[in-house]
Amino acid sequence: MAGSALRRLMAEYKQLTLNPPDGIIAGPINEENFFEWEALITGPDGTCFEGGVFPAKLIFPPDYPLSPPKMQFTCEMFHPNIYSDGRVCISILHAPGDDPMGYESSAERWSPVQSVEKILLSVVSMLAEPNDESGANVDAAKMWREDREEFNRIAQRIVRKTLGIPT
Amino acid sequence: MRNLGVTVLSLVLTTAVIGNAYYQKKQFYPSVVYITKSNPSMAVIYIQAFILVMLTGKLMGKVFFGELRAAELEHLMERAWYAMTETCLAFTVFRDDFSPKFVALFTVLLFLKSFHWLAEDRVDYMERSPIIIRLFHLRVISLLAMLGALDLHLVGHAYLSTVTKGASVQLVFGFEYAILLTIIVNIAIKYVLHTIDLNSETPWENKAVFLLYTELIMGFFKVVLYIMFLAIMVRISMLPLFAFRPMYYTMRAFKKAFNDVILSRRAIRNMNTLYPDATPEELAAADNVCIICREEMLTASKKLPCNHIFHTSCLRSWFQRQQTCPTCRLNILRSPTTPPQQPAARPAPQPAPDQRPPPPFNFAWPPPPPPPAAAANQQGENVNLNQAAGGSGSSGNTNANQPPGAAGGMPGPGMPFFCPPFPFMPFNIPPPIPPRDFSGMSDEEVRRMESSAREGVEARLLCLRNIQMMLDASVLMMRQYSESAAIAAAQNSSMANQSTPPTTEQTGPDLGPSSSGSATEQQKTSPSVSTNKDTPSTSGSASSSQPSTSKVAEERRVTSDEASSSSSSINTSVARPSQAFTPEQEEARRRRLQKFASD
Repeated sequence: MAGSALRRLMAEYKQLTLNPPDGIIAGPINEENFFEWEALITGPDGTCFEGGVFPAKLIFPPDYPLSPPKMQFTCEMFHPNIYSDGRVCISILHAPGDDPMGYESSAERWSPVQSVEKILLSVVSMLAEPNDESGANVDAAKMWREDREEFNRIAQRIVRKTLGIPT
Repeated sequence: MRNLGVTVLSLVLTTAVIGNAYYQKKQFYPSVVYITKSNPSMAVIYIQAFILVMLTGKLMGKVFFGELRAAELEHLMERAWYAMTETCLAFTVFRDDFSPKFVALFTVLLFLKSFHWLAEDRVDYMERSPIIIRLFHLRVISLLAMLGALDLHLVGHAYLSTVTKGASVQLVFGFEYAILLTIIVNIAIKYVLHTIDLNSETPWENKAVFLLYTELIMGFFKVVLYIMFLAIMVRISMLPLFAFRPMYYTMRAFKKAFNDVILSRRAIRNMNTLYPDATPEELAAADNVCIICREEMLTASKKLPCNHIFHTSCLRSWFQRQQTCPTCRLNILRSPTTPPQQPAARPAPQPAPDQRPPPPFNFAWPPPPPPPAAAANQQGENVNLNQAAGGSGSSGNTNANQPPGAAGGMPGPGMPFFCPPFPFMPFNIPPPIPPRDFSGMSDEEVRRMESSAREGVEARLLCLRNIQMMLDASVLMMRQYSESAAIAAAQNSSMANQSTPPTTEQTGPDLGPSSSGSATEQQKTSPSVSTNKDTPSTSGSASSSQPSTSKVAEERRVTSDEASSSSSSINTSVARPSQAFTPEQEEARRRRLQKFASD
């Protein structure tokens, strides 16, 4: 038998291909390495990210699902909870114990019950409703709070960029 | 492309240098002397040697690893940089011995080290790779054998040279190769474990434990090696600065392995003692998929106090990190509302009885029984209840007081006590009324019983022993009561029939006081007196009711008889009362029955 992490990732991949959630596509970049996935997330309707298709990379640790994977957008992003290099900062991706921002309760943290699907759904809802208290990108958080129009304009520009439409 | 250019350039330079020397000197030996005397020529030769080493490395990499993965390459580069700086540090320590040969030895060391790292990465990757082909096994086995043989040979060589020529730089090499040898052993063990796991049809649950212990033992060897090396180096007055970083990492890894083993052991112990195995029904009731590994639970699954079920092995590896339920995050170790010792302390009363169905027997707790006034009140209430229920209802009433488990108890092995109650029973010991809950138990006592340490087990045992003592006391009291009742009945009927044999009166009082005495003794030894829950009610009904009609009395007898037989089913030692029945008593009973029949 292969390792438990590999078996679980294969099971999740199967599940995601059989019943894909709306607006999310995910799978291993290369079927020989199940520990690196690529995901495509569509911006939720009715938000400033509507219509965009955002590519992201998921890196799973060898002891998955005991430790959470890392997620990083590979396109340009401007969002209060996404670092400028694309790394996603949401509590579900943090192992209980480490608390980079010091604001999360352990109830929202990673546990083996979570899955790729839940992570991606959380990211979709994060796109729709940024949490401006955890400033992974302080500029974006400030703009989200104080100058929503400018924020929406930047978001629209990014959406167009991901779709390959000239701005 | 650039690499190819550098290689070709160095090759051209070397041919030029050699050609030039040969052209000038015309003969082999003079050319060699010429080259070694000329610094620029030697520089070219060194560069060529370095490039040859790199080429050999590439070739060996191709042979043993095939294409390197990106992660492996990154890992290799990162470690190589550290190793380079440490080698430079080592050069400063051994600057007296500095020579091309010395540099060459360090290069070989670095070269072999990088193969060890790659082998380690490769074997670790086995677990994560979906397909392992035969070539992989062939490569890993031959690589491990080759590296192991080289390490062993070099350690031996270093040892010999140290012994024959005294402490020199060979000491450092010997030590470095010894460390590499432990790494090779570690990798080989891991490889064997992974291979066994790969070839088994079902997941091998204990592999993680084996890996942990391997890590611990190998870490221990490495730490010992480093300490020995440090001690020797300091003795020959050299501080091996270059060994500090790997030493620190080794110690940290050892500490981590040690902690992991402790946590894992604790997790296993908790799992084995605290949580019950899930039954097939429970598995069928849940959706039968372990949420941690997303696989079906067919065997070896555990149920947590919060009713969530997981594979034992999955739960163990999670508990190594965190002691919470993966689903609901209930802290398994620190939840006062759900006693984790539930299965262990099942016979003992629960500190929070309202959470569970009423326990079969309600016992008083070590702290003092309720004040006599309250007891009297309660007893009075019980009497009222019984009297209100009326004659024929009293049987049902007693049954209602009796818990379901006790009512269905087996009949006592001996003959039932078939005696009418006597109105003025000498009841010098009022039966203690058990409190309804266990609020009398102090928090400290509850805590002591909850701990899983030896102290906790002892506290629980003590509690159980107290309960047994209480049971014995109540059984004794029951016996005393029924015996005196039997004597009284015998006297009663003898008065009626004028044919009482004198022996009854002799045996009766003899037995009565002695048993009552022992009962009081029992109560004195344990201040925690208690009794069966239904004792007060039956005794109350029996002792207080005036035998207005003999019919009622007969029914009372039956109920008290039921109660006593049910209480005797708790403790089989209660079979003794049957011996108290003398033939005379039997006779009296028969006569009484006849009398009722004639009535």
